[in-house]
Amino acid sequence: MIIKKLKLIIIFTLLCFSSIVIGLTDTNKPIEINALMPAPFADSTERLVEQFNQENKGKIHLTVTRGPRETESVSDMAISSMILGNSPIDILLIDVTWLPKYAATGWISPLDEWVNDEDIKSIISGARQGNSYKNREFRWPLVADIGLLYWRKDLMQEPPKTPDALIKISKKLQNEGLVKYGYVWQGRQYEGLSCVYLEVLKGFGGDWLDNSNQFRLDEKSSIKATNWLRELITSEVSPKAVTNFSEPEALQIFETGDSAFMRNWPYAWAELQKPTSSVKDKVGVTTMVADTNQTPTATLGSWGFSILKNSNNKDAAWKAISYLTSEQAQKELFLKYGYTPTKAKLFNDIEMLEMSPILPELEKALQISEPRPKTPIYAQLSDVLQRELSAVLTGQKDPQKAMISAQVSSENILKSAGELRS
Amino acid sequence: MKRLHFYIIILLTWSMLPFIWQLYTSFCSQEALISPLRTIDNRWTLDNYLRIINADPPFWKYLLNSLVVGTSATLITLIISIPAAYSLTRLKSAFAKSMQLLLLAAALFPYVLLFLALLELARNLNLGNNLLALSIPYSALSTPLAVLLLSSAFRDIPKDLEEAAILDGLNTWQRLKWVLIPLITPSSASTAILVFVFSWNEYPIALTWISRSELITLPVAISRIAGSSVYSVPYGTYAAASVLGSIPLLLIVLIFQKQIISGLTQGAIKG
Amino acid sequence: MIFLFAPAALFLILVFVLPLIRYCWISVHALSVITNLEMIPNYGANWIRLYNDQRFWQDSFQTIRFTVTSVSLEILFAIAIALLLDQRWRGRGVVRALTILPWALPTTVMALGWRWIFNTPHGPIEQIISLLGFESINILSNPNIAWIATVIGDVWKTTPFIALILLAGLQSIPNDLYEAFRLEGGSSRQALFNITIPLLKQYLLIGILFRTAQAFGVFDLIQIMTGGGPASSTESLALYAYLNAMRFLDFGYSATIMLGSFILLVFSCLLAWLIFNQIKKIQL
Repeated sequence: MIIKKLKLIIIFTLLCFSSIVIGLTDTNKPIEINALMPAPFADSTERLVEQFNQENKGKIHLTVTRGPRETESVSDMAISSMILGNSPIDILLIDVTWLPKYAATGWISPLDEWVNDEDIKSIISGARQGNSYKNREFRWPLVADIGLLYWRKDLMQEPPKTPDALIKISKKLQNEGLVKYGYVWQGRQYEGLSCVYLEVLKGFGGDWLDNSNQFRLDEKSSIKATNWLRELITSEVSPKAVTNFSEPEALQIFETGDSAFMRNWPYAWAELQKPTSSVKDKVGVTTMVADTNQTPTATLGSWGFSILKNSNNKDAAWKAISYLTSEQAQKELFLKYGYTPTKAKLFNDIEMLEMSPILPELEKALQISEPRPKTPIYAQLSDVLQRELSAVLTGQKDPQKAMISAQVSSENILKSAGELRS
Repeated sequence: MKRLHFYIIILLTWSMLPFIWQLYTSFCSQEALISPLRTIDNRWTLDNYLRIINADPPFWKYLLNSLVVGTSATLITLIISIPAAYSLTRLKSAFAKSMQLLLLAAALFPYVLLFLALLELARNLNLGNNLLALSIPYSALSTPLAVLLLSSAFRDIPKDLEEAAILDGLNTWQRLKWVLIPLITPSSASTAILVFVFSWNEYPIALTWISRSELITLPVAISRIAGSSVYSVPYGTYAAASVLGSIPLLLIVLIFQKQIISGLTQGAIKG
Repeated sequence: MIFLFAPAALFLILVFVLPLIRYCWISVHALSVITNLEMIPNYGANWIRLYNDQRFWQDSFQTIRFTVTSVSLEILFAIAIALLLDQRWRGRGVVRALTILPWALPTTVMALGWRWIFNTPHGPIEQIISLLGFESINILSNPNIAWIATVIGDVWKTTPFIALILLAGLQSIPNDLYEAFRLEGGSSRQALFNITIPLLKQYLLIGILFRTAQAFGVFDLIQIMTGGGPASSTESLALYAYLNAMRFLDFGYSATIMLGSFILLVFSCLLAWLIFNQIKKIQL
């Protein structure tokens, strides 16, 4: 009985496999190129890719590999496929913080051949950052991302400008029973926490890794910034659970009208305008608070395309990239999905301005945007910072102690990296 | 009797409740998710399921991929482990004993720690992006446990039976094929199910070895379900996918639960 | 006879022996993004770093804490479940199958489910707490509690596996033993401690060994449920090794952590074995 069943299974397996093999060997004439993107980007660019393939019929055929939804898993997948070598991927959509790492390992190729100064100037100044490594362009931006402060227009006239004002307004609204929480943000131990911190840190006049490659995490301003984040929780302006919030949790709370402020990326705007949102038309967008005499800062996120070194069809790949990042494409992505464009021209586009009142705010935020430290060992540095911050936010560690230990660990990492390099 | 029922209900609640919550979540609309215990309008929806079924490539493709990997890994494991287990029971005891200890150590090894070396292996042997190649690490990782389980099943077969077969003039291969393998069928079945379940659920290796979307297995596919942006976690859709993805396993467990248990009864435990 | 074993041996060498040798080799080299992925001998610097790495020791402690708690809970529950499933009653087959189900589902899937269940404030647990008027306990954001949530996820998933092994053991105990015991006037509770548990010892040992090793390598459950946070209070050794390889591209140190955890595991298993034997002796 079982043996009979097994035989059936074997035949079935062989059938499946042969159909896969046949499917693969059926080669067409056009140049095949493949792009790996996180699943949400694969979904939103689907129509553009189709259009591109229509226009290049018989010449180039672009297929998109859906990466996992979680961006870090996309990186894992990309890295493993590069370790595997012989990867089927030509184009990789990468996050701003991965670039130095990938460029240093030589996995992605510089874009000098295709990109000139004119092209770079067509990009809005904020989004020009984070595409190069050692003065060579390695990435072409698709969508800009900046940290924003969302505020409730129905609860206040003006958004707060300083950290103290934010707490004061929050407390007032909470005491009046208008909102449950004052401010929700991303406090989970993950990359988002580093983004949140960078904005606050700069807002207090501090810095993470300065231009002369010195860490400044144990300085007064850094400790002040850390203290402020902790105070948000102890003063109950932010819920305790904020220490496990990433973007969706913060959005969920803000969406139900339970919070007066939220720190999030531009994508949240489109979500908040959906008919299911309880704060539709009641939300304004501005830049993060900063201490008096300090300029506010927006952490620069952003996704862009890179071409893998091992790709055999780099020219075709570039053609696809320039199509997907064209003004037309960016406009479509903005109107349909709220993706912040990177082309400077689009910020004056009348149709787009009509559609979205926040476009000028996005432009403003982009002008003050700040990239995270640009080094191949960024992931380690960020990890150290996240650990220490998380320990402070959950009340495990005193802010000053934590920042000193973050400083020491970061210096050690940089030191051992520098020693190896020499 | 009443006490017994009470315990059974507790047991079922414990093991089913998280799953029922997934089921419930999978039918909830986005806004209903946020207030799970309050009554609101428009709670129920089939959207989550429709989104999965209408996705491209369709959901059944991943089920098929997992099925292919699972069956091939299971077959390879059995083909390799049955002779090995047999030889262990017939070899000199010192060698067999030390082999058994090594196998136990290997079976206990937390395989996650091997993923980096396995990735290098895949590069050197050019095994990336190949569904059937994925069954090589799966079956290799399951071999130790399989050999242990099967060898004790062999040990349970009375010696006389095999001696009679030798007298009948059957060679090793014939003895295995006609006499011994049929006798260990229950153990083979339960081993097969253990291997199958492992391969069906494995994540880190599947994620790193396969990058072509038409070849990915179910757990990886589920991790690729996306909401409207990189930041949103589509819990409802996930729940729907996990419900659909567990139906095959539910069926397997319902059909084969006798074999799973009886196979273990004969099991390796004497080692 | 030995040729029958050869294919299996080849397989084992391929996925167990070679990787371990390779790790040993990598672990005495610098191999990272900083060395442009070239191997540069660094004469044990990785091992010194490991020894001085507070995080490695913290993760070791957390991994052991996770392992010990979840395995002991699993054993306790598994004994209860096995005893229940061993009795004869109608519908036992279906209940058995449903009990096994958690073990058969992909960890990655249910870990997300758990993350949703433990969500503050939208998850069912927090909702019930707030309905009852208690203060929210922030399960996944409290460093003192979050690891317990991961233990619950693990216990839920793997208890059925141990229960199955124990059930197999129970069914191998002849009924006559119990009848004889009853004839001599023993109560059923005494039977449990005098017959069942002693005869289950082998099976218990197998269950404990297997689960200890698996729990020690816990990875996807934690990565998805908490990502190692809050304040790294749930990070396991496997997760730390994974981070070093895939996120930091520091393969040299990652290999060192993997070997280090392996050595630690062997030590803990030996220790557990000794304790187990000691207990055995005392009872004899």
